[in-house]
Amino acid sequence: MNGPPPVFDRDLLNLRRLRALKTMPSADFLLTHVADELSSRLTLIRRAFSVALDLAGHTGFVASRLAQHPGIDWIIRAENLFPLVKDYPGTKLVCDPEALPFGDGTLDLVASALSLHLVNDLPGSLVQIMRALRPDGLFLGAVLGGETLSELREVLLLAETEMEGGSSLHVAPFVDVRDMGLLLQRVDFRLPVSDSEVVSVTYDDMFALIKDLRAMGMTNMLHARRRRPLRRSTFFRAAELYASRFPTGTGRIRASFEFVYALGWKAHSSQQEALRPGSARVSLVDVLGDKGRAGGEGPAGAVS
Amino acid sequence: MTEEKEKKAEGPDRKLLELLVCPVTRSPLIYDSTKQELISKAANLAYPIRNGIPVMLPEEARHLDELSL
Repeated sequence: MNGPPPVFDRDLLNLRRLRALKTMPSADFLLTHVADELSSRLTLIRRAFSVALDLAGHTGFVASRLAQHPGIDWIIRAENLFPLVKDYPGTKLVCDPEALPFGDGTLDLVASALSLHLVNDLPGSLVQIMRALRPDGLFLGAVLGGETLSELREVLLLAETEMEGGSSLHVAPFVDVRDMGLLLQRVDFRLPVSDSEVVSVTYDDMFALIKDLRAMGMTNMLHARRRRPLRRSTFFRAAELYASRFPTGTGRIRASFEFVYALGWKAHSSQQEALRPGSARVSLVDVLGDKGRAGGEGPAGAVS
Repeated sequence: MTEEKEKKAEGPDRKLLELLVCPVTRSPLIYDSTKQELISKAANLAYPIRNGIPVMLPEEARHLDELSL
């Protein structure tokens, strides 16, 4: 396949996720938080969805939250690894989020928690989600944003430069909230909304943070990662820098996780749409009268 | 009753099969209930159904040659 080389080593990611499956319960607070957040956003939407997909949500938290919504009749869970869905009691399948096996217009809702930032082709995945949705179907997703682990990124960069005379990528490039908004529009999601939230988590030290990341299956899976492990001394220097630069005041350290939420609808004739520029039939001056004129009492820019 | 339950647990969800297409070619699939496979003639692939769970990954699918069709 042509195109840019893949960013993420998905095979390695899969290994990490399988390993994480064993330890997950201790470190699943981020997923719980995001699943709750997606669910509360859905509560605000007064609409029924007959077929809903929990796309690669890792744990089934999203599916369990979806089940609490009375407007949803049927929930399907899709993961790219068999062990993740094996014991789930509901409808499930194994598929690649970058190659969805759903026919056109088969789903009413696609909910995706913290996995689409790890696909190599996010626009492509969104296009596929769009195709699988019925007209007026909803995409509701959350990905990790660019602020995620910014502290760890910084101290590893500093420590590696200082101790080993060079640096390499340790923290994946994540999605920016503005990029997500543009992407939703580019894929032609209607009434798109994207926003972000930064959650600060405290840890005893950098090693406790890394232990948690490992339990989440979130350690480095970049293709361009350094294949040789960092020296012990580099790690200790990074931990020292972390503690001095990002303290909490109570002897702990803080780590940021940014969640970028995305919401968009597939086009349908019932949705409101902006008219084409220049297609207005009534002049604003007729409506507003003198108030509309520049220098009048109303807002100056109203007729321009 | 238990036998029926076991049978039900083994087979895939028929309603789910109606939604699925081949992820490679986006063409329709044929359900082979004896082999427990979903066959994509366009891609020459047979996707396995394991414990009633469709595994829609091309790398896990069986390649079909002309003869076996």
